[in-house]
Amino acid sequence: GLVQASRGLHTSSQCLAPMPPMPEHGGKVRHGIFPEELFQLLYPKTGVTECSNITFSLFYMLGTGLLVYLLSKEIYVINHETYAGLAMLSVIVYGVKKFGPQVAAYADQLNDEKLAKAQVVKDLTLNSMTESIENEKKEQWRTEGRSLLFDAKRNNVAMLLETNYRERLHMVTNEVKRRLDYHVALQNLKRRMEQEHMINWVEMSVVSTISPQPEKESITKCISDLKALAKTSQAKATV
Amino acid sequence: MALNFFDQFMTPIYMGIPLITLATLMPRLTFLQPTSQWTTSRFSTLQSQLLNSSTYQLFAPLSPKSHHWALLIVSLMIFLITINLLGLLPYTFTPTTQLSFNMAFALPAWLATVIIGLRTQPTHAFAHLLPESTPPLLIPILIIIETISLLIRPLALGVRLTANLTAGHLLIQLISTAMFTMIHTIPLMAMLTGTLLLLLSILEIAVAMIQAYVFVLLLSLYLQENM
Repeated sequence: GLVQASRGLHTSSQCLAPMPPMPEHGGKVRHGIFPEELFQLLYPKTGVTECSNITFSLFYMLGTGLLVYLLSKEIYVINHETYAGLAMLSVIVYGVKKFGPQVAAYADQLNDEKLAKAQVVKDLTLNSMTESIENEKKEQWRTEGRSLLFDAKRNNVAMLLETNYRERLHMVTNEVKRRLDYHVALQNLKRRMEQEHMINWVEMSVVSTISPQPEKESITKCISDLKALAKTSQAKATV
Repeated sequence: MALNFFDQFMTPIYMGIPLITLATLMPRLTFLQPTSQWTTSRFSTLQSQLLNSSTYQLFAPLSPKSHHWALLIVSLMIFLITINLLGLLPYTFTPTTQLSFNMAFALPAWLATVIIGLRTQPTHAFAHLLPESTPPLLIPILIIIETISLLIRPLALGVRLTANLTAGHLLIQLISTAMFTMIHTIPLMAMLTGTLLLLLSILEIAVAMIQAYVFVLLLSLYLQENM
Protein backbone atom coordinates (compact mmCIF):
# COMPACT_ATOMS: atom_id res chain seq x y z
CA GLY A 1 0.00 0.00 0.00
CA LEU A 2 0.91 3.62 -0.35
CA VAL A 3 2.94 5.00 2.53
CA GLN A 4 2.33 8.53 3.80
CA ALA A 5 5.16 10.84 2.86
CA SER A 6 4.73 12.95 6.00
CA ARG A 7 5.92 10.12 8.23
CA GLY A 8 9.61 9.96 8.96
CA LEU A 9 11.50 6.72 8.61
CA HIS A 10 11.33 4.53 11.73
CA THR A 11 10.90 7.48 14.10
CA SER A 12 7.81 6.25 15.92
CA SER A 13 5.16 3.57 15.86
CA GLN A 14 3.03 3.87 12.76
CA CYS A 15 -0.06 5.99 13.27
CA LEU A 16 -1.03 6.81 9.67
CA ALA A 17 -1.98 3.46 8.25
CA PRO A 18 -1.38 2.78 4.56
CA MET A 19 -4.22 4.60 2.76
CA PRO A 20 -7.13 2.25 2.10
CA PRO A 21 -8.18 2.02 -1.53
CA MET A 22 -10.97 4.38 -2.55
CA PRO A 23 -14.42 2.83 -3.01
CA GLU A 24 -15.72 2.46 -6.57
CA HIS A 25 -19.08 4.13 -5.92
CA GLY A 26 -20.22 6.64 -3.32
CA GLY A 27 -22.52 5.59 -0.49
CA LYS A 28 -26.12 4.84 -1.47
CA VAL A 29 -28.57 7.55 -0.40
CA ARG A 30 -32.33 7.79 -0.35
CA HIS A 31 -33.97 11.05 -1.45
CA GLY A 32 -30.52 12.51 -2.00
CA ILE A 33 -29.74 13.08 1.67
CA PHE A 34 -30.42 10.09 3.92
CA PRO A 35 -27.85 7.28 3.73
CA GLU A 36 -29.25 3.84 3.01
CA GLU A 37 -27.53 2.39 6.08
CA LEU A 38 -29.86 4.45 8.26
CA PHE A 39 -32.84 2.46 7.03
CA GLN A 40 -31.08 -0.81 7.59
CA LEU A 41 -30.18 -0.11 11.23
CA LEU A 42 -33.18 -1.91 12.71
CA TYR A 43 -33.38 -4.79 10.21
CA PRO A 44 -31.68 -7.20 12.66
CA LYS A 45 -34.30 -6.39 15.28
CA THR A 46 -37.44 -6.17 13.16
CA GLY A 47 -36.69 -8.52 10.26
CA VAL A 48 -37.02 -7.75 6.57
CA THR A 49 -40.08 -8.42 4.38
CA GLU A 50 -41.05 -7.10 0.97
CA CYS A 51 -43.10 -4.25 2.45
CA SER A 52 -40.66 -3.26 5.16
CA ASN A 53 -39.01 -0.81 2.76
CA ILE A 54 -41.50 2.06 2.77
CA THR A 55 -44.92 1.26 4.16
CA PHE A 56 -44.05 0.16 7.65
CA SER A 57 -40.50 1.52 7.71
CA LEU A 58 -39.86 3.04 11.10
CA PHE A 59 -37.95 6.03 9.84
CA TYR A 60 -40.65 6.98 7.38
CA MET A 61 -43.13 6.83 10.25
CA LEU A 62 -40.79 8.94 12.35
CA GLY A 63 -40.30 11.44 9.56
CA THR A 64 -43.98 11.81 8.77
CA GLY A 65 -44.89 12.07 12.42
CA LEU A 66 -42.23 14.62 13.11
CA LEU A 67 -43.25 16.78 10.17
CA VAL A 68 -46.94 16.67 11.09
CA TYR A 69 -46.09 17.46 14.71
CA LEU A 70 -43.97 20.47 13.77
CA LEU A 71 -46.66 21.80 11.42
CA SER A 72 -49.68 21.23 13.61
CA LYS A 73 -48.13 22.68 16.74
CA GLU A 74 -46.80 25.58 14.67
CA ILE A 75 -43.31 24.98 15.91
CA TYR A 76 -42.41 25.41 12.26
CA VAL A 77 -44.57 28.27 10.98
CA ILE A 78 -45.38 28.30 7.27
CA ASN A 79 -44.60 31.80 6.08
CA HIS A 80 -43.25 33.48 2.97
CA GLU A 81 -39.82 31.96 3.47
CA THR A 82 -41.33 28.50 3.12
CA TYR A 83 -42.30 29.32 -0.43
CA ALA A 84 -38.93 30.91 -1.12
CA GLY A 85 -37.28 27.78 0.26
CA LEU A 86 -39.53 25.53 -1.82
CA ALA A 87 -38.67 27.45 -4.97
CA MET A 88 -34.94 27.28 -4.22
CA LEU A 89 -35.20 23.59 -3.33
CA SER A 90 -36.96 22.76 -6.58
CA VAL A 91 -34.31 24.67 -8.56
CA ILE A 92 -31.56 22.77 -6.75
CA VAL A 93 -33.23 19.39 -7.24
CA TYR A 94 -33.84 20.11 -10.91
CA GLY A 95 -30.24 21.18 -11.37
CA VAL A 96 -28.85 18.10 -9.65
CA LYS A 97 -31.12 15.70 -11.51
CA LYS A 98 -30.44 17.24 -14.90
CA PHE A 99 -26.75 18.08 -14.70
CA GLY A 100 -25.63 15.61 -12.06
CA PRO A 101 -24.60 12.77 -14.40
CA GLN A 102 -22.76 15.16 -16.73
CA VAL A 103 -20.81 16.73 -13.90
CA ALA A 104 -19.99 13.32 -12.47
CA ALA A 105 -18.82 12.14 -15.90
CA TYR A 106 -16.64 15.25 -16.20
CA ALA A 107 -15.06 14.60 -12.79
CA ASP A 108 -14.48 10.97 -13.74
CA GLN A 109 -12.95 12.08 -17.02
CA LEU A 110 -10.52 14.38 -15.20
CA ASN A 111 -9.46 11.55 -12.94
CA ASP A 112 -9.19 9.13 -15.85
CA GLU A 113 -6.98 11.54 -17.77
CA LYS A 114 -4.68 11.78 -14.78
CA LEU A 115 -4.56 7.99 -14.53
CA ALA A 116 -4.02 7.64 -18.27
CA LYS A 117 -1.01 9.96 -18.16
CA ALA A 118 0.56 7.90 -15.42
CA GLN A 119 -0.36 4.71 -17.24
CA VAL A 120 1.42 5.95 -20.37
CA VAL A 121 4.59 6.52 -18.39
CA LYS A 122 4.25 3.12 -16.77
CA ASP A 123 3.65 1.36 -20.09
CA LEU A 124 6.61 3.15 -21.66
CA THR A 125 8.88 2.10 -18.84
CA LEU A 126 7.58 -1.46 -18.94
CA ASN A 127 8.11 -1.65 -22.70
CA SER A 128 11.62 -0.31 -22.50
CA MET A 129 12.39 -2.77 -19.73
CA THR A 130 11.04 -5.74 -21.70
CA GLU A 131 13.03 -4.61 -24.73
CA SER A 132 16.22 -4.37 -22.74
CA ILE A 133 15.56 -7.83 -21.27
CA GLU A 134 15.20 -9.26 -24.76
CA ASN A 135 18.35 -7.49 -25.90
CA GLU A 136 20.20 -8.91 -22.94
CA LYS A 137 18.99 -12.43 -23.75
CA LYS A 138 20.10 -11.95 -27.33
CA GLU A 139 23.51 -10.86 -26.18
CA GLN A 140 23.73 -13.92 -23.98
CA TRP A 141 22.84 -16.13 -26.93
CA ARG A 142 25.48 -14.38 -28.99
CA THR A 143 28.17 -15.13 -26.44
CA GLU A 144 27.41 -18.85 -26.80
CA GLY A 145 28.62 -18.78 -30.34
CA ARG A 146 31.77 -17.00 -29.29
CA SER A 147 33.98 -20.10 -29.61
CA LEU A 148 32.72 -20.76 -33.13
CA LEU A 149 33.51 -17.21 -34.03
CA PHE A 150 37.00 -17.47 -32.61
CA ASP A 151 37.64 -20.76 -34.41
CA ALA A 152 36.55 -19.24 -37.68
CA LYS A 153 38.79 -16.28 -37.07
CA ARG A 154 41.68 -18.49 -36.16
CA ASN A 155 41.16 -20.52 -39.32
CA ASN A 156 41.10 -17.34 -41.33
CA VAL A 157 44.31 -16.15 -39.86
CA ALA A 158 45.98 -19.54 -40.36
CA MET A 159 44.89 -19.60 -43.98
CA LEU A 160 46.25 -16.16 -44.55
CA LEU A 161 49.56 -17.12 -43.02
CA GLU A 162 49.71 -20.31 -45.04
CA THR A 163 48.90 -18.46 -48.24
CA ASN A 164 51.54 -15.92 -47.53
CA TYR A 165 54.07 -18.59 -46.78
CA ARG A 166 53.33 -20.47 -49.98
CA GLU A 167 53.53 -17.32 -52.00
CA ARG A 168 56.94 -16.60 -50.63
CA LEU A 169 58.00 -20.18 -51.23
CA HIS A 170 56.91 -19.90 -54.84
CA MET A 171 58.75 -16.67 -55.18
CA VAL A 172 61.92 -18.20 -53.83
CA THR A 173 61.63 -21.20 -56.13
CA ASN A 174 61.07 -18.97 -59.12
CA GLU A 175 64.01 -16.80 -58.33
CA VAL A 176 66.32 -19.77 -57.84
CA LYS A 177 65.06 -21.39 -61.06
CA ARG A 178 65.72 -18.16 -62.91
CA ARG A 179 69.24 -17.95 -61.78
CA LEU A 180 69.90 -21.66 -62.54
CA ASP A 181 68.25 -21.28 -65.97
CA TYR A 182 70.57 -18.41 -66.61
CA HIS A 183 73.58 -20.50 -65.88
CA VAL A 184 72.23 -23.42 -67.95
CA ALA A 185 71.51 -21.12 -70.86
CA LEU A 186 74.94 -19.68 -70.52
CA GLN A 187 76.51 -23.14 -70.65
CA ASN A 188 74.39 -24.16 -73.66
CA LEU A 189 75.34 -21.04 -75.45
CA LYS A 190 78.97 -21.60 -74.75
CA ARG A 191 78.76 -25.21 -76.01
CA ARG A 192 76.92 -24.19 -79.14
CA MET A 193 79.40 -21.50 -79.87
CA GLU A 194 82.24 -23.93 -79.39
CA GLN A 195 80.54 -26.40 -81.76
CA GLU A 196 79.90 -23.83 -84.41
CA HIS A 197 83.35 -22.52 -84.11
CA MET A 198 84.77 -26.04 -84.43
CA ILE A 199 82.53 -26.79 -87.42
CA ASN A 200 83.52 -23.62 -89.09
CA TRP A 201 87.13 -24.29 -88.39
CA VAL A 202 86.88 -27.84 -89.73
CA GLU A 203 84.98 -26.65 -92.81
CA MET A 204 87.51 -24.01 -93.39
CA SER A 205 90.42 -26.37 -93.08
CA VAL A 206 88.74 -28.96 -95.31
CA VAL A 207 87.81 -26.40 -97.91
CA SER A 208 91.31 -25.07 -97.87
CA THR A 209 92.75 -28.55 -98.46
CA ILE A 210 90.40 -29.36 -101.31
CA SER A 211 91.95 -28.47 -104.76
CA PRO A 212 89.74 -28.00 -107.78
CA GLN A 213 90.57 -31.32 -109.49
CA PRO A 214 89.81 -33.75 -106.68
CA GLU A 215 86.69 -31.69 -106.04
CA LYS A 216 85.37 -32.29 -109.58
CA GLU A 217 86.20 -35.99 -109.38
CA SER A 218 84.46 -36.38 -106.06
CA ILE A 219 81.38 -34.53 -107.34
CA THR A 220 81.07 -36.90 -110.41
CA LYS A 221 81.52 -39.88 -108.20
CA CYS A 222 78.79 -38.58 -105.88
CA ILE A 223 76.43 -38.12 -108.75
CA SER A 224 77.01 -41.67 -110.06
CA ASP A 225 76.52 -43.03 -106.54
CA LEU A 226 73.31 -41.10 -106.21
CA LYS A 227 72.02 -42.50 -109.53
CA ALA A 228 72.80 -46.00 -108.45
CA LEU A 229 71.05 -45.41 -105.15
CA ALA A 230 68.06 -44.00 -106.95
CA LYS A 231 67.81 -47.08 -109.14
CA THR A 232 68.02 -49.40 -106.14
CA SER A 233 65.40 -47.44 -104.22
CA GLN A 234 63.03 -47.40 -107.25
CA ALA A 235 63.49 -51.13 -107.52
CA LYS A 236 62.70 -51.50 -103.84
CA ALA A 237 59.67 -49.35 -104.17
CA THR A 238 58.23 -51.42 -107.05
CA VAL A 239 58.80 -54.57 -105.05
CA MET B 1 -48.28 40.83 11.09
CA ALA B 2 -45.99 43.84 10.95
CA LEU B 3 -43.24 42.27 8.97
CA ASN B 4 -40.20 44.35 8.31
CA PHE B 5 -38.49 43.12 5.18
CA PHE B 6 -35.16 44.41 6.39
CA ASP B 7 -35.11 42.17 9.44
CA GLN B 8 -33.30 39.55 7.38
CA PHE B 9 -30.33 41.93 7.11
CA MET B 10 -30.05 42.54 10.85
CA THR B 11 -26.86 41.11 12.30
CA PRO B 12 -27.90 37.79 13.84
CA ILE B 13 -28.01 37.62 17.63
CA TYR B 14 -29.43 34.59 19.41
CA MET B 15 -30.15 34.94 23.10
CA GLY B 16 -27.60 37.67 23.37
CA ILE B 17 -24.82 35.78 21.54
CA PRO B 18 -23.78 37.48 18.33
CA LEU B 19 -23.61 34.89 15.55
CA ILE B 20 -21.97 37.01 12.87
CA THR B 21 -18.64 35.19 13.25
CA LEU B 22 -20.35 31.84 12.84
CA ALA B 23 -22.28 33.07 9.83
CA THR B 24 -19.07 34.30 8.23
CA LEU B 25 -16.95 31.26 8.96
CA MET B 26 -19.49 28.46 8.49
CA PRO B 27 -19.37 28.46 4.67
CA ARG B 28 -15.73 27.40 4.96
CA LEU B 29 -17.02 24.01 6.11
CA THR B 30 -18.65 23.39 2.76
CA PHE B 31 -15.40 22.91 0.91
CA LEU B 32 -13.05 19.99 1.27
CA GLN B 33 -9.59 19.97 2.69
CA PRO B 34 -7.04 18.87 0.07
CA THR B 35 -6.16 15.21 0.71
CA SER B 36 -2.95 13.33 0.24
CA GLN B 37 -4.72 10.90 -2.06
CA TRP B 38 -3.57 10.96 -5.64
CA THR B 39 -6.90 10.18 -7.34
CA THR B 40 -9.41 12.14 -5.28
CA SER B 41 -13.15 11.84 -4.96
CA ARG B 42 -15.40 13.55 -7.54
CA PHE B 43 -16.14 16.52 -5.32
CA SER B 44 -12.50 17.08 -4.52
CA THR B 45 -11.50 16.76 -8.17
CA LEU B 46 -14.13 19.27 -9.25
CA GLN B 47 -13.15 21.68 -6.49
CA SER B 48 -9.47 21.62 -7.42
CA GLN B 49 -10.39 21.93 -11.09
CA LEU B 50 -12.53 24.99 -10.31
CA LEU B 51 -9.77 26.59 -8.27
CA ASN B 52 -7.08 25.89 -10.85
CA SER B 53 -9.11 27.08 -13.83
CA SER B 54 -10.27 30.27 -12.09
CA THR B 55 -6.73 31.04 -10.93
CA TYR B 56 -5.44 30.56 -14.45
CA GLN B 57 -8.19 32.69 -15.98
CA LEU B 58 -7.75 35.52 -13.52
CA PHE B 59 -3.97 35.63 -13.57
CA ALA B 60 -3.10 34.77 -17.18
CA PRO B 61 -3.17 38.41 -18.35
CA LEU B 62 -1.25 39.63 -15.32
CA SER B 63 2.50 40.08 -15.04
CA PRO B 64 4.35 37.42 -13.04
CA LYS B 65 5.07 39.92 -10.28
CA SER B 66 1.38 40.14 -9.44
CA HIS B 67 1.05 36.37 -9.11
CA HIS B 68 1.82 36.86 -5.42
CA TRP B 69 -1.77 38.07 -5.09
CA ALA B 70 -3.16 34.77 -6.41
CA LEU B 71 -3.86 33.25 -2.99
CA LEU B 72 -5.58 36.37 -1.69
CA ILE B 73 -7.75 36.91 -4.72
CA VAL B 74 -8.84 33.34 -5.39
CA SER B 75 -9.56 32.64 -1.74
CA LEU B 76 -11.59 35.85 -1.63
CA MET B 77 -13.54 34.65 -4.65
CA ILE B 78 -14.34 31.25 -3.13
CA PHE B 79 -15.26 32.93 0.15
CA LEU B 80 -17.70 35.30 -1.52
CA ILE B 81 -19.22 32.62 -3.77
CA THR B 82 -19.95 30.26 -0.88
CA ILE B 83 -21.34 33.02 1.32
CA ASN B 84 -23.58 34.31 -1.45
CA LEU B 85 -24.87 30.87 -2.45
CA LEU B 86 -25.57 29.74 1.10
CA GLY B 87 -27.42 32.98 1.76
CA LEU B 88 -30.03 32.02 -0.83
CA LEU B 89 -31.40 29.29 1.41
CA PRO B 90 -34.30 30.34 3.66
CA TYR B 91 -33.71 31.45 7.21
CA THR B 92 -30.03 32.23 6.58
CA PHE B 93 -28.04 35.39 7.06
CA THR B 94 -25.78 36.63 4.27
CA PRO B 95 -22.88 38.68 5.57
CA THR B 96 -22.24 40.16 2.13
CA THR B 97 -25.50 42.10 2.33
CA GLN B 98 -23.77 44.36 4.86
CA LEU B 99 -21.97 47.31 3.32
CA SER B 100 -19.40 47.36 6.10
CA PHE B 101 -18.47 43.77 5.30
CA ASN B 102 -17.89 44.42 1.62
CA MET B 103 -16.12 47.73 2.13
CA ALA B 104 -13.73 45.92 4.47
CA PHE B 105 -12.63 43.83 1.47
CA ALA B 106 -12.84 46.47 -1.24
CA LEU B 107 -11.12 49.46 0.36
CA PRO B 108 -7.86 47.88 1.60
CA ALA B 109 -7.38 45.85 -1.59
CA TRP B 110 -7.98 48.85 -3.86
CA LEU B 111 -5.77 51.08 -1.73
CA ALA B 112 -3.02 48.46 -1.84
CA THR B 113 -3.08 48.39 -5.65
CA VAL B 114 -2.96 52.20 -5.86
CA ILE B 115 -0.08 52.48 -3.41
CA ILE B 116 1.86 49.74 -5.21
CA GLY B 117 1.32 51.56 -8.49
CA LEU B 118 2.45 54.89 -7.08
CA ARG B 119 5.49 53.41 -5.41
CA THR B 120 6.87 51.17 -8.18
CA GLN B 121 5.86 53.00 -11.36
CA PRO B 122 4.42 56.46 -10.49
CA THR B 123 4.58 57.82 -14.01
CA HIS B 124 2.72 54.86 -15.42
CA ALA B 125 0.14 55.08 -12.62
CA PHE B 126 -0.50 58.77 -13.27
CA ALA B 127 -0.64 58.10 -16.99
CA HIS B 128 -3.79 56.06 -16.41
CA LEU B 129 -5.55 59.28 -15.47
CA LEU B 130 -5.55 60.38 -19.10
CA PRO B 131 -6.83 58.08 -21.86
CA GLU B 132 -4.95 58.00 -25.15
CA SER B 133 -5.63 60.43 -27.95
CA THR B 134 -7.91 62.87 -26.15
CA PRO B 135 -8.38 66.31 -27.69
CA PRO B 136 -6.13 68.83 -25.84
CA LEU B 137 -9.09 70.99 -24.86
CA LEU B 138 -10.66 68.22 -22.80
CA ILE B 139 -7.50 67.27 -20.87
CA PRO B 140 -8.13 69.22 -17.61
CA ILE B 141 -11.73 68.08 -17.35
CA LEU B 142 -10.81 64.52 -18.17
CA ILE B 143 -8.11 64.35 -15.53
CA ILE B 144 -10.56 65.49 -12.89
CA ILE B 145 -13.11 62.95 -14.08
CA GLU B 146 -10.58 60.14 -14.13
CA THR B 147 -9.37 61.02 -10.64
CA ILE B 148 -12.91 60.95 -9.32
CA SER B 149 -13.46 57.60 -11.06
CA LEU B 150 -10.28 56.29 -9.48
CA LEU B 151 -11.29 57.41 -5.99
CA ILE B 152 -14.79 56.03 -6.32
CA ARG B 153 -13.61 52.51 -7.19
CA PRO B 154 -13.65 51.04 -3.67
CA LEU B 155 -17.09 52.47 -3.05
CA ALA B 156 -18.26 51.04 -6.36
CA LEU B 157 -16.84 47.62 -5.58
CA GLY B 158 -18.42 47.43 -2.15
CA VAL B 159 -21.75 48.92 -3.08
CA ARG B 160 -22.09 46.80 -6.21
CA LEU B 161 -21.87 43.58 -4.24
CA THR B 162 -24.04 44.85 -1.39
CA ALA B 163 -26.72 46.29 -3.63
CA ASN B 164 -26.97 43.25 -5.87
CA LEU B 165 -27.33 40.82 -3.05
CA THR B 166 -29.61 42.99 -0.95
CA ALA B 167 -31.85 43.66 -3.89
CA GLY B 168 -32.00 39.99 -4.77
CA HIS B 169 -32.89 38.95 -1.24
CA LEU B 170 -35.50 41.66 -0.94
CA LEU B 171 -37.10 40.62 -4.21
CA ILE B 172 -37.26 37.00 -3.12
CA GLN B 173 -38.86 38.07 0.14
CA LEU B 174 -41.38 40.33 -1.56
CA ILE B 175 -42.46 37.86 -4.20
CA SER B 176 -42.73 34.98 -1.75
CA THR B 177 -44.78 37.20 0.58
CA ALA B 178 -47.07 38.05 -2.31
CA MET B 179 -47.44 34.37 -3.12
CA PHE B 180 -48.04 33.54 0.53
CA THR B 181 -50.72 36.19 0.85
CA MET B 182 -52.51 35.36 -2.41
CA ILE B 183 -52.53 31.59 -2.22
CA HIS B 184 -55.73 31.51 -0.17
CA THR B 185 -57.56 34.18 -2.17
CA ILE B 186 -56.43 33.90 -5.83
CA PRO B 187 -54.53 30.60 -6.20
CA LEU B 188 -54.01 31.11 -9.93
CA MET B 189 -52.17 34.38 -9.40
CA ALA B 190 -50.25 32.68 -6.64
CA MET B 191 -49.15 29.99 -9.10
CA LEU B 192 -48.00 32.61 -11.58
CA THR B 193 -46.15 34.35 -8.81
CA GLY B 194 -44.67 30.97 -7.92
CA THR B 195 -43.34 30.63 -11.45
CA LEU B 196 -41.83 34.09 -11.15
CA LEU B 197 -40.28 33.04 -7.86
CA LEU B 198 -38.72 30.00 -9.53
CA LEU B 199 -37.17 32.11 -12.26
CA LEU B 200 -36.00 34.62 -9.73
CA SER B 201 -34.31 31.87 -7.75
CA ILE B 202 -32.40 30.80 -10.85
CA LEU B 203 -31.42 34.42 -11.43
CA GLU B 204 -30.30 34.87 -7.85
CA ILE B 205 -28.08 31.80 -8.01
CA ALA B 206 -26.46 33.21 -11.13
CA VAL B 207 -26.12 36.69 -9.64
CA ALA B 208 -24.55 35.32 -6.47
CA MET B 209 -21.78 33.63 -8.42
CA ILE B 210 -21.32 36.39 -10.97
CA GLN B 211 -21.09 39.18 -8.41
CA ALA B 212 -18.36 37.41 -6.48
CA TYR B 213 -16.44 36.78 -9.71
CA VAL B 214 -16.86 40.38 -10.85
CA PHE B 215 -15.60 41.73 -7.53
CA VAL B 216 -12.48 39.67 -7.82
CA LEU B 217 -12.04 40.31 -11.54
CA LEU B 218 -12.11 44.06 -11.03
CA LEU B 219 -9.56 43.78 -8.26
CA SER B 220 -7.29 41.82 -10.59
CA LEU B 221 -7.79 44.49 -13.26
CA TYR B 222 -6.80 47.25 -10.84
CA LEU B 223 -3.79 45.14 -9.98
CA GLN B 224 -2.91 44.71 -13.64
CA GLU B 225 -3.06 48.46 -14.15
CA ASN B 226 -0.72 49.20 -11.32
CA MET B 227 1.81 46.37 -11.35
